[in-house]
Amino acid sequence: MNIDQKGFAGFLSVLALAGLFLVLVGGQAIGEEEYDEDTYGPEAPIVFTAPVKAVIFTHKVHTMDAGLECDSCHDEVFQMEIGSAEQNDDFTMQSLYDGKYCGTCHDGQTAFASNTRCTVCHIGVKGFDRMQGGPKTDAHGGGH
Amino acid sequence: MRISDLEKLKNEGVENLPSHERRSFLKFGLSVTGVFLGGSILSLTSARNVQGAVEVLPPQAQKFPYSPHYSMVIRQNRCVDCERCKEACAKTNHVPSYGYRTTILEMARETSPGENERIFMPVLCNHCNRPPCVRVCPTKATFKDEKTGIVMMDYKKCIGCKTCMAACPYNARYFKEENRAVDKCNFCFDTRLASGEKETACAAACPADVRVFGDLSDSGSRVYKLIHTPEKVAWVLRPETGALPNIYYMND
Repeated sequence: MNIDQKGFAGFLSVLALAGLFLVLVGGQAIGEEEYDEDTYGPEAPIVFTAPVKAVIFTHKVHTMDAGLECDSCHDEVFQMEIGSAEQNDDFTMQSLYDGKYCGTCHDGQTAFASNTRCTVCHIGVKGFDRMQGGPKTDAHGGGH
Repeated sequence: MRISDLEKLKNEGVENLPSHERRSFLKFGLSVTGVFLGGSILSLTSARNVQGAVEVLPPQAQKFPYSPHYSMVIRQNRCVDCERCKEACAKTNHVPSYGYRTTILEMARETSPGENERIFMPVLCNHCNRPPCVRVCPTKATFKDEKTGIVMMDYKKCIGCKTCMAACPYNARYFKEENRAVDKCNFCFDTRLASGEKETACAAACPADVRVFGDLSDSGSRVYKLIHTPEKVAWVLRPETGALPNIYYMND
């Protein structure tokens, strides 16, 4: 083995090491970014129960996945304090159609329109009960 | 004789059987067939021959059989399972917590790889034109109202045999312990329609206008107009039972 060949083999092994390093570090960065509540907001989903039961909102979908900043919504569209929107009389679908609350973005331009795909957000009483732990049985006593 | 011994015997064929034996064997076969035939005729279940396409009216009918012909159109994709209809129904008709006259079913449908759509489906008595429950009731406690077509209950006649519950293709009946009788939706006939209300409690309570109630024989009614909108697809549940239901489903 002459010097040239030795050098080439060394170059190859460096390349392989670099590749391995990239796969290890890069893979982790792409695959499993840690959810940081300070950056992306509370991890637990928010469930609205007024005026109808029940509507689900997850910060992760809107911040980490869709790339919104905290001040995209807070505090102009929604107060940070939990339950504050539900206390307003105008927290209704009509307000959303008028461009308030979720309707600020869910207008058919920025995001899907508020009068479409209802059950993406509306999880219903059944979804609510599941979140509270275990669905209520609703069969006619299981008699048939 | 053991089975293992029987297997060693030579097959004699049927040509050697005496005619008496053959006849009695055939008779036995016929009586078995007869039991099956009679069974399906007298069957207490709702199973029937598949009727194929949805028949809105029996073939011989030239007009709506009832007046008013009460019907409901359910605009399924508007339902968000808030269950105000259930609450209103229970309150209006004194429905106990273990039963229901109407409820919401939940389904998931895959719209694209990895994406699911939740579907809520309100269900209630379909007030069928050919109600299997009425056909099987031994005491005529459940009957089809001649004027309105509503499938009603006469609680005093009900003996609680629950055959109607087994016959109903829509699982729309339950046994009400308080009455010692089967209870079911009657389109709020006694609780609302009789006192002049135009809508059932569930339809009035729905915030999303999912349930549209009215007279299908009246061309000016909303149900008639919705059903007769050409660009809208309407369907019924379990058309193959031939029960001719009066609850129609559509999207928006």
